[in-house]
Amino acid sequence: MTAPFVVAHLYRRRMNIYGDTGNVTALRRRLEWRGIAIRVVSVDEGDRFDFEEADVVVAGGGEDSSQLAIADDLVARTDAIHRAVGAGVVFLTVCGTYQLFGRRFVTSGGSEIPGIGVFAAETIGGGTRMIGNVVVDSPWGSLVGFENHSGRTRLDTGQVSLGKVRRGFGNDDSSGEEGAVVGNCFGTYLHGSVLPKNPGLADELIRRALYRRTGSDVALAPLDDAVEARAAAAAANRP
Amino acid sequence: MLRTRCAVAVARLARFASRLVGRGGTALPGLVALRIDPAVIERLVASLPGGVVVVTGTNGKTTTSKMIATMLTGSGRRVLANRTGSNLARGVAAALVGAARRGRVSADVAVFEIDEAAVRHLGPLLRPRVIVVTNLARDQLDRYGELETTARHVAAAVSASGVAVLAADDPIVARLGQGRGAGSVWFGGEPAIRARMPDDRSLYGHGEPRFDGRLDAVLNETTADGDGQIIRVALDSGEVTVRLQVPGVYNAYNAAAALLAVAQLGLDPVGAATHLAAMPAAFGRGQVVEYRDRRVRVILVKNPAGLNQAIGLLRAEPAACPVLVAINDNVADGRDVSWLWDASVEALAGTPHRFGASGIRAADMALRFKYAGVQAWMETDDRRSLDRVVDDAPPGATVYLIPTYTALLSYLEILLPGKRPEEVWA
Repeated sequence: MTAPFVVAHLYRRRMNIYGDTGNVTALRRRLEWRGIAIRVVSVDEGDRFDFEEADVVVAGGGEDSSQLAIADDLVARTDAIHRAVGAGVVFLTVCGTYQLFGRRFVTSGGSEIPGIGVFAAETIGGGTRMIGNVVVDSPWGSLVGFENHSGRTRLDTGQVSLGKVRRGFGNDDSSGEEGAVVGNCFGTYLHGSVLPKNPGLADELIRRALYRRTGSDVALAPLDDAVEARAAAAAANRP
Repeated sequence: MLRTRCAVAVARLARFASRLVGRGGTALPGLVALRIDPAVIERLVASLPGGVVVVTGTNGKTTTSKMIATMLTGSGRRVLANRTGSNLARGVAAALVGAARRGRVSADVAVFEIDEAAVRHLGPLLRPRVIVVTNLARDQLDRYGELETTARHVAAAVSASGVAVLAADDPIVARLGQGRGAGSVWFGGEPAIRARMPDDRSLYGHGEPRFDGRLDAVLNETTADGDGQIIRVALDSGEVTVRLQVPGVYNAYNAAAALLAVAQLGLDPVGAATHLAAMPAAFGRGQVVEYRDRRVRVILVKNPAGLNQAIGLLRAEPAACPVLVAINDNVADGRDVSWLWDASVEALAGTPHRFGASGIRAADMALRFKYAGVQAWMETDDRRSLDRVVDDAPPGATVYLIPTYTALLSYLEILLPGKRPEEVWA
């Protein structure tokens, strides 16, 4: 690879409620350990950025007030993000940004925050908060994380989820589904951070991004993920 | 009043019984008293001639409360305080009931550290003469919910208080003083010190403004000195220079807050400060425990801001020390350990120290170290992890133990067997 791998951190300042920065850290290290140079770009409200220049775009969760604060900026980027998703750019959206990548989020206070409709999904806030460690069976292995949300996300018929909830609440505490996937765009409620404890998913994001660049499958050098596995096992056994 | 006296009597009986069966039980008498007389807190507080000082905020509550109580006691006031970890309504009720005689509290003034969620409810009951807000940063979101919610809770308590002693350098605390005019007094650091005291908004990059008006207490100097530090604080009545037995710029801020608080109660802070010099660290708040010929320096961490403060201390430590970070995820710690990824663990790479991870979530901490580029071993057993970190230091040397709350309690049983936290705190 000539140019460095570009990770765009979308709304790092406002949408990083607890540890979602760890997802950028995980991508950085797993690339560096394989000798791939990485450049991280922060994209906050008002910043000009062409998402098609990114290999992976990462965005985290935020308080309702933060979601409101970034909502206009995100809506203004609707077309650009749809184009990037269509072009195969890899996205990882967690919690608050996952919700806003759906059509809309109606908060528990009744106010409606428009989403950008990448996912065929809607989120309604309210009721008891869904808090705890969560285990999900996904095509990339079992995923472990910590969820903390009051929004219940309903996927439209035909919208593919990230996986099936084995333990925890997932999207809405009733459908048994967790997260959503459209092309290379992933949405999930998993904090933890999600990527460090789930190296299979982290490598899947990297692999897809490298495929988009090179047009062919890239075999990633294997890493020793023993500590990752122990951390995931510890989390999976906690309430 | 009869109901209050009855509540006091039965609560004391409950305390006696609880001690007979060998339980510490600081909360039970408070629960019993509140059940018999739901107004027991208001009624007993009304009998305190000097009123109530409340200390709340994310970090520094215990140390700041202890500093205020120490200066008041040293100046001849009879002080009632709640015990560490008993900072909810039942803990406050238990403290009041324990000091009540014939329906009156036998103390001049009370100093209560109050949980920042419980303060919404307790503020209006206690009607504090002075409320101190140390700082507000994201903390255990699974327990407290969003930071904005916590800020609203604290704002409700501030509006029920006489004078608010507020952290000027913390943008979220700065908001609390808006529109209060003379009802707020401000402590803060001079610019170079302020830069060493990160707040939630600088940690997460919002860049919200601090309070930029006139400060009533300015922290002008902090210089490390052995296990403690020498600080200089300018107040209206003069400048205080004192050696604290606790390290770290955050404890210097706590001292500035405490000095400003006692000034609101009519003490001369310059004179009262002499008592600070004699105050040992509260348990787990920079305290040094002798153990197997080593000096174990214990620093409780609960959230990213607190862990970053501990990391700052380690970076300032010139000797190469073994360091054990113990992460539990019980309810009192917060179930969610995601916050480890928000702390600047990367800043430890290149320090001369040697690191280990322990606690229920030892593997999460080991993983955090790994991704920070810091080598660390992992051991989930408390005693074996402590032995390992202690064996790694020569006799007489310093070892750092950095635990979350329930991990602190577990290690306390090994470091100081047979002592209850409240005895250690006293």
